[in-house]
Amino acid sequence: MLPYNGHVSAQSTTFVVTLLLPGGEQTIQVRSDEHIWDAALAAGIKLPALCHQGRCLTCAGRLLNGGEVDQSDSASYYPPRSPLRILTNQQEQMRAYRRQHGLPAPYS
Amino acid sequence: MPRKEVVVKHGDVSKRVGVEVIRARGVDVDKLLKILIANAAAEFASTYYYYTILRMHLAGYEDYKEICEDARLEDRAHWELIVPRIYELGGELPNDLKEFHDQAGCTAAKLPDPPTVVNILTLLMESERCAIRSWSAVCDMTFGKDPRTYDMASRILNEEIEHEAWFIELLARERDGKVIPSGHFRRGEPGHAPYSKNAKFYNP
Repeated sequence: MLPYNGHVSAQSTTFVVTLLLPGGEQTIQVRSDEHIWDAALAAGIKLPALCHQGRCLTCAGRLLNGGEVDQSDSASYYPPRSPLRILTNQQEQMRAYRRQHGLPAPYS
Repeated sequence: MPRKEVVVKHGDVSKRVGVEVIRARGVDVDKLLKILIANAAAEFASTYYYYTILRMHLAGYEDYKEICEDARLEDRAHWELIVPRIYELGGELPNDLKEFHDQAGCTAAKLPDPPTVVNILTLLMESERCAIRSWSAVCDMTFGKDPRTYDMASRILNEEIEHEAWFIELLARERDGKVIPSGHFRRGEPGHAPYSKNAKFYNP
């Protein structure tokens, strides 16, 4: 379980995460004990989000490099486990995909 | 982008002036309906239903149980408030309960494992936070364009903000031994809902 208070653990590693945004590409550093969305916001990048629970799909992005994230804390945003390259703003594509597969897709 | 207002002809019952005017003022009515249905599902399925179970498991913590009960019944009042507006805007609820449940924009507040009081209070607090975010989105979509939906959303938002403050107060004390006052706890009978139920504009 990730800390509630943004505490930095002694064991945390930092990964490079590249975000492909509608306005271009930006690279941020994300610790393994923080969520990608939080790190982006701290870097001045406001990614789409609504529920902040990993439920509504507004924050959906596509991993492009086969990178690894820790989904055990999937009630929120995934912490990185490797360098990542993420195509952001994928909520409509994610909803369409989930609808096709008979999975819950809120707001669709 | 605001659309040109559609003329609703004399005697035409296929269109609603009440919808066309807000569309012309820039509201994406289809998107608004999706959000209202998602929020109705969250109030009814993700919270009202599951808070019933959470409240049962607060056995022995009678003060927490009472506060959970207020939040539970107020979420039910929100559901009652939202549904008429969905139909009024030309939308409808899915005629299948599972389909409706799956539209919820917030995670179901299922009994945590283990169901400790700290875990339950954490879940309640995070559920209220999702509700605040969801209703703020409706306020943003409708402010200055759709006063009726905005009025409803802001009333609900008022109560969700109070709920979050209550659960912060309770969790901070229970988990961290800290005093973080909510600033208020003012309710009459259970389910008082001072903003949404007792000032409602529909189904009086």
